[in-house]
Amino acid sequence: MRSSPRAEPRGKGEGKSRRGLPLLFWRSSRRREEWVAALGFLAIGLVLIGFFVIWPSIRTLWFSLFDAEGFAGVRNFARLFGDREIVDLVRFLRREPPWGALLHNLVWIVIHLPFTVGLGLILAVVFSKIRSWWVGIARGAIYLGIVTPLIVGGVIIRFLFDKHAGMAPQILGALGAPVPWSAGWTAYPETALLALVIGSIWLWTGFSMVLHSAGLSTIDRELYEAAQIDGASELAQFRYITLPLLRPVTLVVAAMTFLWELKIFDIVYVATMGGPGGASNVLALEMYFSAFRELDPYRASAIATLITLFSLPVGYWFARRRLRR
Amino acid sequence: MRSWWRVLGVVLGVSVLFVGAWAEKLVVIGPWSGAEADPFVAVLDAFKAKTGIDYEYRTMRAEDLSKVLPAQFGAGMAPGDVIFMWGWWIAKFADHMADLSDVIADVPFAYVSPLVVDGRTVGVPYVVFVKPGFWYRKSFFAEHGLKPPTSWPDFISLLKRIKAIPGIEDAAASGDGVGWPLSDTTEHFILAYGGVNTFLGLIDGTIKWESPEVRAVFENYLIPYLDYASEPIEWTSALDLWWEGKYGIYFMGNWITGMVDDPSDLGVFALPGAKAVTGGPDIFFVPKYSKNLEAAKKLAAFLMSKEGQELRAAGGGKLVVRADVSPTAYPPAERALMKALEGFTLVSDMDDTIGGEWQAAFWDQLKLLWVKPGALDDVLRVLDEKFPKG
Repeated sequence: MRSSPRAEPRGKGEGKSRRGLPLLFWRSSRRREEWVAALGFLAIGLVLIGFFVIWPSIRTLWFSLFDAEGFAGVRNFARLFGDREIVDLVRFLRREPPWGALLHNLVWIVIHLPFTVGLGLILAVVFSKIRSWWVGIARGAIYLGIVTPLIVGGVIIRFLFDKHAGMAPQILGALGAPVPWSAGWTAYPETALLALVIGSIWLWTGFSMVLHSAGLSTIDRELYEAAQIDGASELAQFRYITLPLLRPVTLVVAAMTFLWELKIFDIVYVATMGGPGGASNVLALEMYFSAFRELDPYRASAIATLITLFSLPVGYWFARRRLRR
Repeated sequence: MRSWWRVLGVVLGVSVLFVGAWAEKLVVIGPWSGAEADPFVAVLDAFKAKTGIDYEYRTMRAEDLSKVLPAQFGAGMAPGDVIFMWGWWIAKFADHMADLSDVIADVPFAYVSPLVVDGRTVGVPYVVFVKPGFWYRKSFFAEHGLKPPTSWPDFISLLKRIKAIPGIEDAAASGDGVGWPLSDTTEHFILAYGGVNTFLGLIDGTIKWESPEVRAVFENYLIPYLDYASEPIEWTSALDLWWEGKYGIYFMGNWITGMVDDPSDLGVFALPGAKAVTGGPDIFFVPKYSKNLEAAKKLAAFLMSKEGQELRAAGGGKLVVRADVSPTAYPPAERALMKALEGFTLVSDMDDTIGGEWQAAFWDQLKLLWVKPGALDDVLRVLDEKFPKG
């Protein structure tokens, strides 16, 4: 027997109509309302992102396919990889920098990434174990790096490694280290990039430490208590409880750090301007030189696209991870 | 309801006042700050007192302006009404500049000429800086029995003697900004030992950096000098250190006279054999997008008037460009400098004339050369590679 729609029970029964079409319509109507509401909330954000992120990105990509003579296809990219200022593999294997902006970015990642992620993790764990008045001060001092504007950070790095005012050359000089270790690090090609990387470790470790501290606070204490009862050492607790449970946080920190390193600009601009002789140049600074010194928007766009391409895998992984959650 | 009307009234009143004040306020952008800016600000104050037109002075280096202005021009805007910028850059963006021909019609220029593109005066030289050579403290030289050199061996001997003085770190201080103090020093060496023709040939690209005559200047003169020069130090810090006696001599432009405690203690000498020194103008333009175009032109006219130029001359640190300004308008240090420059030819600063990417490369490569003289081959090669094509 088929009951009339009027005879259908209301409430819970509404979603169980045997007539498919009205149900679909009802559902799609409701969905439409939800979509309209969602779009209403998102509209301003989407318009802003569209204007200030999507449109410039498309234009940049478009520009990168042209040069002063017209459509160039991927010629700009081919030129970049043949340019000593971007990659100088021959010199990389034999002599001190400059090795090209791309290789400098890679060196930056290879040194900076493990140090900031590892140091942040270790500091977070150590500070979580110690109950003392100075822990808050130490945490604040380390976190200061992340709230310091990078332009100021660049100036600090410049002075930190200055021959006269800098702590590092003074200490190393007192220990009998030769030039350039006892001189102005930012003035010498052997030490300029290293000075920037070391300075940036200080600037970014606070970020890693704070995120790991937040992650630590979510780990159930009972796990540690159980491990202690079983006789696990501190190191074993760290290896088998802390590290695996902090893995999601560590991955996020590593991803964010990687993206930060790829687009590094401010501190290089202020501290060394990419010098001496291009020994501390990075991709973002090379992009700036192309755009505002050479007045070549095509090469600058190609470099910008290259930076985006390098960051895409990490960005994709990050987005997928968030969607999965 | 009445309170809403009151709030609206107050908001409207404040807006009218703000807009009124803003409309008449000229924004002047120049590269100087601190003590270096004081003489220019004094001229701006005199303009304000005379015309009642208010101004706001903002410090921005040409390097920083170069990344702000193209986008602003593209949008038909400008961050200021009177802006100081590189000459090569003004010529490149001449379409965006107001024509100032009528403003400077009666100005008798000395040293330099206004920047004219397609019959329009787009840039006006306001003051001239000169890089006369190595500065020293008379008291320091007197204390240690030193004298300005008269020959190249004499110069090297002077450097050796300074270096041997206890407490001295290096005989000569090397300033570093983004690299320009090193380029000034290098240009002085090229002028002194390569000659004016080589210098001009390098500017117009007819002589290569890797050519034997240029290489000889580097190998025989500049690199031996670097044995006695410090590594590049931020130029104002280098100035303080040199003044305190950590270094004996310091190559710098004549603006140094406005930056030391006692300008009367300053002495200067050019490299022995030099017949010319470099210099250049500080050039301003008025963007055609200025919201106060007429007021901006009034300020431009005042800056270039005899009254405005004499006022600037009195502040020291720069030479003004009007030929009818008497030497007596300058402080004693500038008068002495003008006397010291008698017989020298003034040629345009090389890196400012060529500009663009090459200028940045020149600065950067010299920073490398200063600490790695062995990199000379690489440095000269890059300078040729980066030279503007065509």
